[in-house]
Amino acid sequence: MEEELIQIKNSAVSLILDARDKEELLDLKIRFLGRNGKFTLAIKELSKLPKEKRPEIGRLANEVKNTIEETISEKESRVTKQRFQELKEKIDTTIPGIRPPIGHLHPASQVLYDVVDVFKSLGFQTADGPEIETDYYNFTALNMPPNAPSRDTQATLYLDTRNSKVKPGEILLRTQTSSMQVRIMEKIKPPIRVIVPGKTYRVDDVDASHSFEFWQVEGFMVDKNVRLTDLFGTIDYVLRKLMGEKIKIKFATTNFSFVEPGVDTYIECTVCKGKGCSFCKMTGWSEIMPAGMIHPNVLKTAGYDPKKVSGFAFAIGLSRLVTLRYEMEDLRLLTNPDLRILEQF
Amino acid sequence: MLVPLSWLKEYVDIKLSPEKLGERLTEVGLGTEKIIKTNDDVIFEFEITPNRPDLLSILGIAREIAAIENTKIKIPKLFENLKPKEKLPIKIETNASINPRFTGIIIDGITVKESPDWLKEKLIKTGQRPINNIVDITNYVMFEFGNPIHAFDYKKIKGSVMRVHQAKGAEKFTSVDGVTYHLPKGAVIISDSEKIIDLCGIKGGENSGTFENTKTIFIRVPVEIPVLIRRTATSLSLRSEASSIFERGVNAGGTVDALKRCVELVLREAGGQIASELFDIKKEDFLPWKLNLELERLNKILGISIGEREVLNLLQRLNLAPLKKTKDIIEVTIPTYRNDLKIEEDIIEEVARLYGYNKFPKTIPQGQIPTAQIPYLKDYGVEKKAKSILIASGFSEIYTYSLVSEKDLLENGLNPSKSLRVDNPVSREFEYLRTSLIPSLKKALIQNKPYFEKINLFELGKVYLGSSIDNALEIYYLSGITNEKNFYEVKGIIEKLFDDCGINEDPTKYIQIFDEGIFFELNFSDILSKINLSKKYKPIPKYPPIIEDLTLEVSEKITVRDIIEEIKKQSPLIRQVSLLDVFENSRTFHIIYQHKHRNLTNQEVSKIREKILETLNKKFKAKLKE
Repeated sequence: MEEELIQIKNSAVSLILDARDKEELLDLKIRFLGRNGKFTLAIKELSKLPKEKRPEIGRLANEVKNTIEETISEKESRVTKQRFQELKEKIDTTIPGIRPPIGHLHPASQVLYDVVDVFKSLGFQTADGPEIETDYYNFTALNMPPNAPSRDTQATLYLDTRNSKVKPGEILLRTQTSSMQVRIMEKIKPPIRVIVPGKTYRVDDVDASHSFEFWQVEGFMVDKNVRLTDLFGTIDYVLRKLMGEKIKIKFATTNFSFVEPGVDTYIECTVCKGKGCSFCKMTGWSEIMPAGMIHPNVLKTAGYDPKKVSGFAFAIGLSRLVTLRYEMEDLRLLTNPDLRILEQF
Repeated sequence: MLVPLSWLKEYVDIKLSPEKLGERLTEVGLGTEKIIKTNDDVIFEFEITPNRPDLLSILGIAREIAAIENTKIKIPKLFENLKPKEKLPIKIETNASINPRFTGIIIDGITVKESPDWLKEKLIKTGQRPINNIVDITNYVMFEFGNPIHAFDYKKIKGSVMRVHQAKGAEKFTSVDGVTYHLPKGAVIISDSEKIIDLCGIKGGENSGTFENTKTIFIRVPVEIPVLIRRTATSLSLRSEASSIFERGVNAGGTVDALKRCVELVLREAGGQIASELFDIKKEDFLPWKLNLELERLNKILGISIGEREVLNLLQRLNLAPLKKTKDIIEVTIPTYRNDLKIEEDIIEEVARLYGYNKFPKTIPQGQIPTAQIPYLKDYGVEKKAKSILIASGFSEIYTYSLVSEKDLLENGLNPSKSLRVDNPVSREFEYLRTSLIPSLKKALIQNKPYFEKINLFELGKVYLGSSIDNALEIYYLSGITNEKNFYEVKGIIEKLFDDCGINEDPTKYIQIFDEGIFFELNFSDILSKINLSKKYKPIPKYPPIIEDLTLEVSEKITVRDIIEEIKKQSPLIRQVSLLDVFENSRTFHIIYQHKHRNLTNQEVSKIREKILETLNKKFKAKLKE
């Protein structure tokens, strides 16, 4: 019996190795291991053996069965691979692929969605507000009363008020998404964490780094104990998430009427890597995120007590962030609908 | 503002290199835009923020540098011998509510001539054009001290009277540079007994200016009211170095010092003698004011712990004379040139900026993450979903301007008189707020034509509706244009979009066919309001359907929709009806019959089929094609 089993094994293995395809292998499996297969029939004789011989022969029978099964599966996988290879060789695989005719998401949207996601991870919700805005929310509520010289830095487009009840100069196209600060704050109580992406407008000539229409993302948070270091930490975290761990960031003092202390944020120019180019006005740095601690007058306007709560606010120049991320040397590329630009994103 | 390093060095010792100095000045708030190296000097170009009129002077900038370098500035020693040698008559009538301080003096016997080289050089380096020694000295002292000064030709002041008052409106005034203006109502002016001789705080008059033959001058160093100066300057679109200082708030405590400096230089460079007492008409003494700084609050707002000694040191360097009042309170005294410092937070910024923002640690906000829904909430999920359907269908996204021209509107059948308009557009090209995305999408299609055969573009952006501001409405439109896809493909894309948003609506009315292709425009704000994203699993049918195709001969005037609706009405067992094919006047419909709980028999189906054919024949004269 021992010899019979070894012989079954040898003949099975040699037949399996010679098999050419899956069908042949299946056939061999049945021939040896099937209900009436050679091995199955041989094993039925096991009970006729003397008791003391049975364990030894039993082990051998197991071994033989395992060997046959393993050989079949090894061969099967080899045959399958071979078949894949054959099919591939039938065609010229060096011909370029046929791409699906899928369109492209605008680079500004791609960056905007990243901005929204990064802030979401910090607990900021996203709001959307009017571009046609009142003088009050755009300026006065932000500690920029009529005739404040600080208004000069934001030359304003005013809307035609003919045929309306509104006085000229009262309704404008918002110059900053900060106009949403008091709109939101006066409706809810702290804690607040919000960002507001949107279009903003200023009287400005169009050139490589200026436009009369551009995108900002305003953000602010108000809580019991918001600190300047929180502002620095938030800006640092967000910019590194958006622009890469390795970017260089620096802060500077500045003045905006609605913050005190006021902060300006610069990142090293990506176009020239800090060497100085026309995009960064030869400074090697690009202003990206003006910010600061919310001025007590703004908190008061919103109905909050500046002794009890504090907050920070910032505005990201989204258009500039996009151009910096993709090393585009001109802001106008963003509003140019040329598919040769769009297809790159 | 252009500032030569050599001039700064006259008042402060500078150890830092120009580059390092520029970096530090930017960090503390004096934006260094450019550092220009010339043969013999280094010129800084600074951007001065609106809150710091003091930095519109060399001494002001020198003070910032001294604070950075931890040193003291060298203030020029003031000329104190103001005793008049003669007394020429002058009568000053002023009013503190429009002119809070009027400091002045007469100097007689001067010689007007070209300025000495040192003076001309300084003015040229700061970007000024030298005129004559008197005008140049007044400009020089303004740049040095930050107080604007005007010299009148005393002899041209008729009646020896100077009356400060406000314009009634429309009076004519010719400035010293020869331009005539019609004054707005409320402009602060000085008149003599006959005429207007000065537009206060902005420009002097031609009729009283200092020219070659001037022998006697009246020097005026005023404090003006910022709002009044700003209103007039804005209304005349006329700005000067003086007006930008007055608008931001001049150093009200500095007029006498500036006058003394000016007198000293006039006597030295133009000769003459003092010919009047020093006039100083003022409503108050303009003394420094005091503020308290709570150390605990300082550290709470900044988030770091700056020790008391360090805080005192920083405040000292900024000339704020810190004085410890109690364990936790430091009293500071604000010099009159720092009128931007009004509240405790301003002092906190002073400490923080000189300490150095870039030395601060960075923390992530603590506290509870707000969970209550904010007002004005925007969900980007739907926007992303809609855009990905369009992108998967081959459309690329564009961003265009919201402002369009009258021509853009007219060419697309939109009415400019029903569109919102900007009063002061940057150009006629960008005068109206768009009421549709069609103008910019059409332009984009045309722009791409030379380079691409198949063009599919979309934009998700705001349009601005309403015929006047009173009913202005901003809504989002989602619009697209294609010269590749046909009507049915575009319709299918929108059907898919509506389906995914749970909206049951026929998109036909949103699609326009024009010669160059297909255009669609959806009210995305409306989609957002109707959207229903809740989904519920429906079990897949357990019993097999019976499917058959019916080819009908029917007039082309009968619409497919009417036929399908009619077929569906015939039995609840009809699960789905679709158009399979159109050939001449015959149309093939694909009908799926299915029962939820059991198998259907052929007999059941043939009964329904008969009913369908009977009804269609009765209603539309449709016949089964043999």
